[in-house]
This record gives sequence, C-alpha cells and structure tokens, in this order.
Amino acid sequence: MGCSSSVSSSQPVHRTNNIQSSYDTRGTIVVYGMIQSPATQRVLATLIEKGLKFQLKVINLKAGENLSRSYLEKQPFGTIPALDDVDGFTIYESRAISRYLEMKYKDKGTELIPKGNIKVEGLFEQAASIELSYFDSYANGIVTERIFKKMRGGEPDMNKVAELRRDLAKNLDVYDQILSTQSYLAGNMFTLADLFHLPLGSLLLKCGEDELFESRPHVKQWWNKISTRQAWKTVQAMA
Amino acid sequence: MPIKVYGTPTSTCTQRVLTTLIEKGLPYELIKVNLAAGEQKTQEYLDEKQPFGVVPVLIDEDGFKIYESRAICRYLELKYKGKGTELMPTNDVKALGLFEQAASIEMSYYDPYVSGIVFERLFKGMKGLGDPDEAKIALYREQLNAKLDVYEKILSKQPYLAGQDFTLADLFHLSYGNRLVKLNEGHFFESRPHVKDWWNRITSRPSWQQVLALA
Repeated sequence: MGCSSSVSSSQPVHRTNNIQSSYDTRGTIVVYGMIQSPATQRVLATLIEKGLKFQLKVINLKAGENLSRSYLEKQPFGTIPALDDVDGFTIYESRAISRYLEMKYKDKGTELIPKGNIKVEGLFEQAASIELSYFDSYANGIVTERIFKKMRGGEPDMNKVAELRRDLAKNLDVYDQILSTQSYLAGNMFTLADLFHLPLGSLLLKCGEDELFESRPHVKQWWNKISTRQAWKTVQAMA
Repeated sequence: MPIKVYGTPTSTCTQRVLTTLIEKGLPYELIKVNLAAGEQKTQEYLDEKQPFGVVPVLIDEDGFKIYESRAICRYLELKYKGKGTELMPTNDVKALGLFEQAASIEMSYYDPYVSGIVFERLFKGMKGLGDPDEAKIALYREQLNAKLDVYEKILSKQPYLAGQDFTLADLFHLSYGNRLVKLNEGHFFESRPHVKDWWNRITSRPSWQQVLALA
C-alpha cells in the first residue's frame, strides 16, 4: 500500500474506536493493519456493525513491519490484516475474520449472515462468491493502477485499466439484473456479501470510476444504500 | 428428482462440485453444457441457469438453484451435513474460523496464480485468444512459488490447510492443481516435501480419482 505514517516504527500506535486508548491489550480484540488498507477496512466495518470494541495496532507496510518475524508468526503470508480475539485466538484473511466475528458474536449488533434456513444460507454463499469471482480482482486491479501505483511514484497502465473496466462493466450489468429483483446481493437482507464490496467500491469512486455504478440504476441504488450505512461512514471517518 | 449439475466433467469448477457430491455419497445427474458451442452464453442459459454465463449450476431435488462452485459445495455440506465425509467443521467457532481462513488462503494465494498459468498455457489457446503471455506466466510463477513456500510452513505443522482434518478448503485446490500437473508444472508441489505429501494425500482420495475417471 505504501501509505506513509507519521508514527515511527518503534512505537506501535493503539487506536480505539470509542474508548480511551490503552496499551493493555488483554481482553480486547486487536486488529493488526492500516486504516487505509481495503482489507483492514472490511474487518473494521464488520466490528463496528457488530458493536464490538477493538484496538487497531498499526502495521506500517512502508516500513516493512508486515515482514517482521513477530508479524509473520501471526500472518505467515505477510499481508494485513490479522486479528487477535479477546482470548488470544489469532485469525487472518479479512473475509475469514469477518465471518468468524459474525459466528462468534452472533447475537451482537447487525446480523451479517442469515442463519436457520439452508436455502437462504446457500444464496448468501452464492453472493459471497459473486463478490470474489466478478468484482474483487477487477476492482482491485483498477484501483492498484490508478491509486496505489501512483502513490508509489509509478504511472498507471491505462490500457490495463480499460480492459479491467470493460470486464467489470459486463459483470456489473449482471449485478444490475440481480439487484432489480432484490435489495441486496444475497436477497432482501444486508449481509457480509454486500459489505465486502465497500472498501474497493469506495476507492473506485475516489479515482473517478463513478460511471460504473451511476449508469446502472439498481447498482446505483444498492451502492447508495450500503455505502451510507453508519458503520461504513465511521470507518471512512477514521481514514 | 435427483440432484442435477449443469457443467462438464473436464471443467475445473464443475469438478469441485462433483468431488463434493461423491464425498457426500450423493447421487446426481450431470447434464453436459456444450461449452465449445457457447451454450453457456445463450440467452436461454443466461436467463434460466447462470446470469454470468459460466458453469457449473446445481439444481437440488426440490428445484432450488445455486451457482458458483465453492458456494454449491458449501451448500451441499450444510444441507447434507450427516451424510458421507464431513467437509467443514461443525459447532466449534474457532475450528470454523480456521476453516474460513484456509478457504480464503486458496482464493487469495493459490487460485489467481494457478488459474492464471493454466489459462495462459492451455485455455487461452483453446479459446483462440492468442499465444501465452510469457511475462505474465513468469510473474504468476514467481508469486506461486512465494505462496507455496508459506503453504510448506503451514503444512509442516498440520496435515491439512484448516488443521487436522480434510475440508473443502483442501478440496478446492484439486481441479486447477491437476491441470498444472498435466502441463508439467507439478514441480511446484514436488519440490516442497510437506506440500508434496499433502498433494498426494488429497489427490489419492477415491472421490477425486472417480472424478478424474469421468473426464
């Protein structure tokens, strides 16, 4: 990601969402990551939807903190985020973390995965897979060229962007069809499948790719609904 | 009405679903979709089966339709929980969390590179989309090597990606991994002792052997 941080790498910063900051992490959920990272944002949005208190321990990618021995012990692929639950259980991969939080803290805050009906759960899984198959890699590719590469002093490959945009546009045409008969990707309930789109979707808008959503009425409506949720607004305010 | 799968026996994604059905001991009917003739892109298929125009699609005994191979497999495990092999942990939230972590590892660190190499070296030519892009292949190889070095570490401590038991997270690797081996790229697995053991263990499962025999 290469975002510069004003904090020196020798002093980890603990930021909490709404309680006074503390360096004592026992009994607290700890997220290791960076507020600007899309994957970290997925986890923060989930935590806030569930009303869970947490501390954010900054892992500064530019300073290579993700490749330190202690971090690699937590996350052997050296990517962010990772999460320590209150009992010290460690888990990584943002979508896995979100799913775990939903399972563990089922009765807190917003219900993010429908339970109790196998067909409804199946359609949730279908929607979660749609995000991975037809949105994530294209959105990530565009945003990498148009935002992250630039931040590292490189120039975007606009031919690559055009190709990715064309493919994403075709997929969003299908999203528009699906969302013409239901409010959210999995059905009529907001779920993690929608939430997972928020970080990269917001970055697409930031780099001027509005047309992808604006030109598709049902996608536009869905995007407005999910991006104005309080939890997402809170995450954006933190960045 | 038996479970119906729309796809082909050689499609990597269809193979995930067939392997799962066999692991669960579920009878099914495979209805072949003519990919070479572009049947999956016809308006009828898009309207009735899968709006993104790909295979597989599953229609359950009661007519319930679901697509996306990994979603289908998870659904089958949920619906037919007590039957055949258990493919996801039950009830234990930590074990489920580690399963989700393993399932995400397959999607983040394996699939993009393996399917990328297989597309460039095999499917691209078959679809008449041009010659393999050697620069892309070199990049995929570099990435895959780095990621499988981490697999090696993980699998040195436990027999399967999610822990002690075989799960869907391991199963999802089979079909593209097989294509890689058939393209003489098996060195990715062979050169890493724990990855090699894991690969041998999961590929020798009878369910996978049966799926290979269908192709």
